[in-house]
Amino acid sequence: MESRSARGEKILAVYLKKLGSRGITGVEASLEDGVLFLTGDVPTLEDRLTAGFEGAKIKKKYRLRGVVNDVTVNQRSSVPMSLPSINDTLLEGRRFDAVIIGGGIIGTAAARELSRWNISIAVLEKEEDLGLHASSRNDGMVHPGFAASPGTLKASYNVRGNRLYTRASEELGFTLRRPGSILLFSHPAMILLLPVFKRRCRKNGVSGGRWVSRRTLARWEPELTDKQRGGFLLPTAGIISPQEVVLAYGENAASNGVEFFFHTAVTGMEKQGDIITRIVTNRGTLSAGVVLNAAGVWADQVADYAGDRFFSIHPRKGVDAIVDKKQKDSLNHIVGMPSLRGNRRSHSKGGGLVLCVEGNLLLGPTAEEVLDREDYTTHQKDLAILKKHMELDRRLRESDIITYYAGTRSATWEEDFIVQPSDRVANLVYAAGIQSPGVASAPAIAEDLAAFAVKILEKSGAVGPRPDFNPHRTPRPVLAELSEEERRRWIEKDPAYGRIVCRCEEVSEGEIRDTLRGGLPATTVDGVKRRTRAGAGRCHGGFCLPRVMEIMARETGKDLGDIPRGGDGSWILMKRKETVNGK
Amino acid sequence: MESNYDVTVIGGGPAGMAAAVAAADGGARVALVEREEKLGGILKQCIHDGFGLFRFNERLTGPEYAWRYQQMLMGRRIDVFTSTFLTKIQRGTEEGFQMRFVAPGGPFGLTSPAVITATGCRERTGRQVFLHGDRPAGIFTAGQAQGFVNLQGYLPGRRCVILGSGDIGLIMARRLTLEGAEVEGVYEVKQEPSGLTRNLVQCLEDFDIPLHLSTTVKEVHGRRRVEAVTVCQVDEAGRPVTGTDRRIPCDSLILSVGLIPENEILDSLGISLDERTRGPGVDQNQMTRLPGLFTCGNAQHVNDLVDYVSESGAAAGRGAARFALGKRGAEERGTEETIPVRPSGEILYQVPAALVRHGEDPVFFFRASRSLEKARLELRSPGGEVLYQKRYTFLRPPEMERFEFSMTKLPENCGELIFHLEEV
Repeated sequence: MESRSARGEKILAVYLKKLGSRGITGVEASLEDGVLFLTGDVPTLEDRLTAGFEGAKIKKKYRLRGVVNDVTVNQRSSVPMSLPSINDTLLEGRRFDAVIIGGGIIGTAAARELSRWNISIAVLEKEEDLGLHASSRNDGMVHPGFAASPGTLKASYNVRGNRLYTRASEELGFTLRRPGSILLFSHPAMILLLPVFKRRCRKNGVSGGRWVSRRTLARWEPELTDKQRGGFLLPTAGIISPQEVVLAYGENAASNGVEFFFHTAVTGMEKQGDIITRIVTNRGTLSAGVVLNAAGVWADQVADYAGDRFFSIHPRKGVDAIVDKKQKDSLNHIVGMPSLRGNRRSHSKGGGLVLCVEGNLLLGPTAEEVLDREDYTTHQKDLAILKKHMELDRRLRESDIITYYAGTRSATWEEDFIVQPSDRVANLVYAAGIQSPGVASAPAIAEDLAAFAVKILEKSGAVGPRPDFNPHRTPRPVLAELSEEERRRWIEKDPAYGRIVCRCEEVSEGEIRDTLRGGLPATTVDGVKRRTRAGAGRCHGGFCLPRVMEIMARETGKDLGDIPRGGDGSWILMKRKETVNGK
Repeated sequence: MESNYDVTVIGGGPAGMAAAVAAADGGARVALVEREEKLGGILKQCIHDGFGLFRFNERLTGPEYAWRYQQMLMGRRIDVFTSTFLTKIQRGTEEGFQMRFVAPGGPFGLTSPAVITATGCRERTGRQVFLHGDRPAGIFTAGQAQGFVNLQGYLPGRRCVILGSGDIGLIMARRLTLEGAEVEGVYEVKQEPSGLTRNLVQCLEDFDIPLHLSTTVKEVHGRRRVEAVTVCQVDEAGRPVTGTDRRIPCDSLILSVGLIPENEILDSLGISLDERTRGPGVDQNQMTRLPGLFTCGNAQHVNDLVDYVSESGAAAGRGAARFALGKRGAEERGTEETIPVRPSGEILYQVPAALVRHGEDPVFFFRASRSLEKARLELRSPGGEVLYQKRYTFLRPPEMERFEFSMTKLPENCGELIFHLEEV
C-alpha cells in the first residue's frame, strides 16, 4: 500500500492536518494506486464537502490520479441507483464493437460520432427514453466558454463545442440561436474588471467579448432593470432545446445503425486482466470491444464495476423555472447579474434569465449539494432564489411562472470533466463529471470519445468508415411554425395535421401520432411532450392530456389505463377493469 | 379567399352558443367557431345537474343544457365550424377583423366587423400555486379528473386528496366517491371555502368528506406515481405553521385551485387585461375598449353559474349584431359617451367596467372582497348622489351577486359611476 510509503504518509498527514484545522474529524484517508480514498463518517453534508474539496486540492498539489469520497453523513450515504423493473434475456450473449452506457447528450452524441465507422454499436439506457436526467434537466444554454477557468477541460471542450453546434444544428435539423449573453455589472467599479475579462476571453479562445455601456444596454433591452451598470457581452452564447438535441443525435445515430436499448441498466462487469469481457445488465449479459462510460451521475459506479475508481461524483441539484411564452418579447439577450459576494463553493455561474428556443424565458439555475443523485424534488426556497432573477426584467411577474423542475449536476471533486481512455482498463473510455457546461461541450466531447474508442478497436483490427453514413436528419415538421401554404400541403396529405390537440402550443394530432411511429418512438405521455411540446404550455396538459392518451391508445392498440406518463410505475389511470364503469 | 360574416363567435360553449343565437336573432349572419370536435365546451363533461335554473327554470345536466342551445342554433343563420382553431387575429381597416384558422380541411380565413371571444377559462395548475416536492403521475386538475371519469370512464386513482375547495373540486369529491374511490379530504389554504354553499352541503357534508380550512399541501411524495402528500396548517398570512405537518398516504392529488380566463388570443390585438378579473374590461354591451371586439362568459371573468355565462353571451350577441349592422366604424364609437364604473369599498370586482350612454340596461355582477354580514351596495355619482341601493344580509366572495340597473337613473354628464360596497 502506498499509504505506507514515505511520500504517501506525508500526503495523508498534510491532508488530515488540513481537515483538522477546519475542525473535521472522523475522516479516514488512504492512497491506492495514486488515488486518494476518503472514508469515515461526519456529522454534516458541509463537512463531507470540505473533505472532498480539500482532497481535490491535495490531488492537484501532489499530482495524484484522483479523489474518491465515500465519507458518509450521519451514516447516510448516496441513495442507490433506481433500476428498471424489467428482467429478461434480450441482450444475453450479444456482442457489439462498442457499447455506450448512458443515453444522455454525451451518450447519444458519441453514438452518432461512432456511427461514422463501420462497427456495431449499442446504447444502454436505464430509463424509458433518452436524456431523462441531467441532459434534459438544464437550461439549454450553449455557453460561450468564458466562465470555465483557463486550462481546464471544461474551458477547451466548451469553446470547441460551442463552435461545433453550428454544423450540428445544420446537419441534425435542431434549432440553434445565438442571442448572446450579457454579464450585467451591478456596480460601476466593475468596469475595472474589463482587462481581466478580456484576458479570460483570450486565454479560453472566446471571440467577440466586449463591454457594453449602460445606455446601450438600456436601448437594446428596454425592460432591463435600472440596477445594471453596463455589462460584458459574449456574442457567441447560444441556446438549444436540450431534449431536441438529445433526440436529434439519437435519431440520427439510430438511422445510421446504432441500436438503442431502453430499460437497460448495467449492474456489473467481468474482466480478464485489464479487459472488460462481459457487461451484466438486467436484460442479459453482453460483451463489447470497447465500453464508453457516459453514465452521468452514475459514471463513478460504472467505473467501480470496471474496478477503476479514480473519481467520485457529488450530485449538485439545480432548479429552473419557465415563464409563460407571452413574455417572450421581453428580452433579446441572455442576462445574468453575478453577485460580487457569490458563494465561491457553489460552483455555479450564478444564474439569470435565459431565453429558450421555444420562446419562453427561463429563470435559473440554483445550486445545492445533495446526497441523492435522482432527487428531483423542488422546495419553496428554490423558487425564492429564482424569483430574484425576475427583478432583472421589469415586466416579469410571479404569476408568469408556468412550471419549474430540478436536475442534478454530476460534479467530480476536481470540478472538471474527465474525458479520456481509462489508465487501467484497456477497453474503457470515460466521459465523466460532465456537469455544466456539458450541453455546450457535448459535440466536442463526442468527437474525442469516438476517436479514443476507434483507437482501441483498431488494436484488434482495422476499422473502416461506414459507407452509407448519413450525417443528416430530417426533423419532424413543427406545423405551427410553418407558413400557411406549407401547412396546407401537410393537411392535404392528412387532415390529422389540421386537428389541433394541444391548444397552448398548437400541436396537431398528426404531429403527435408521428412521434409514436418510426425512429425512436415516444412510448409515454412525457415522451410525446418532449417530442412535440403537447402539454408543455401554460395549461400544462389540463386540456390535451386525455386526447394525447386517446391517440396513443389508438396507435398502440392499448387500453387507456395502460398509457403511462413516464417510466415504470407512473400510471395515469386505473385499468378499465378496475373502474366501476368496466365492472 | 376569405368569407365575411357580420359576427364571428370564437368558442362554442355556453357563452359562445348563446352569443351566436342572440346575434342571429339581432339580424346578423353569424359564424360560430369551436376548436373541439363537438360544441358544448366544458358542459360536455358536467353530468351533474343544477344547470339552467335561471335560463330554463329547470334543473338540467351540463350535456342537456348544451343540447338546448345546440337546438337553438339550428334554423338560425349560423354557420358552425367545429375542429377549427384560431391561429391569428388582427384588426384591418376595412372589413374589421381578419382571422386565420386551421381545420382538418386546411387553413382558411374569415373577416367580420364584430368578433365575440367566448374562449372560457382554464384551470390553474399545481405549478401555478407553487406545489412542491416530487412531480409524479397522479396529480390532476379537477376538470381533468372530471373528464377522465365522465367522458372516458376511467378512475384517476383509488385514494384521493383534493387541494382547493373550488366548485369543480367539490363536485369531483362527490363524483369520485360515487365511482368507488376514497376521498380522504378536501384541503383549502384560505380560511373560507371557495365553492358555492350548495356544493359544500351536497358534495361534502352529504358524503361525510372532511373539509380542512387554512391547510395546504406542502409537499408531494412519490417519484413515479403519487404515494403521499404532506399537508400543513397555514397562518393568516399563508405561512406554514411549524409542527402541523401531516403525511397522508394517497395515490392521487386533485387540484381545484382556481380558474384563469383564456384570453391569450387577445395579446396580438394589444388589449390589456384587468388585474382582478383577468379578462378585458367591457361595457354593458360586452364590448371591449377595441371597437367591434366583444367578450363574454368565463373569458370575461370567472362566473359561478352557467346561466350567467349564457346571459353575458346573449348580451354580447345583441351588442355585436347592433355594432355590425348599424354602427359600423369607429367614429361613432368615439362620440359615444363612456362612463367608467369605479369599484370602491369591499368590492373584489364588478362587471361591466364601464357603461355607454346609449347601450342597453346593464346587468351588474359583483363579488365581495371578503365575507360580510349585512352589507349595503350603492351606485353613486361622483357628486355623491345615490342612484341605486341594495342591502345584503350575507355576502361571500365565491357567490357572485347579480342585479339590473336602469340607464334612465344615470344623470347627465355623469363622469363616472362609483360602485361602493360596505358593511353596515
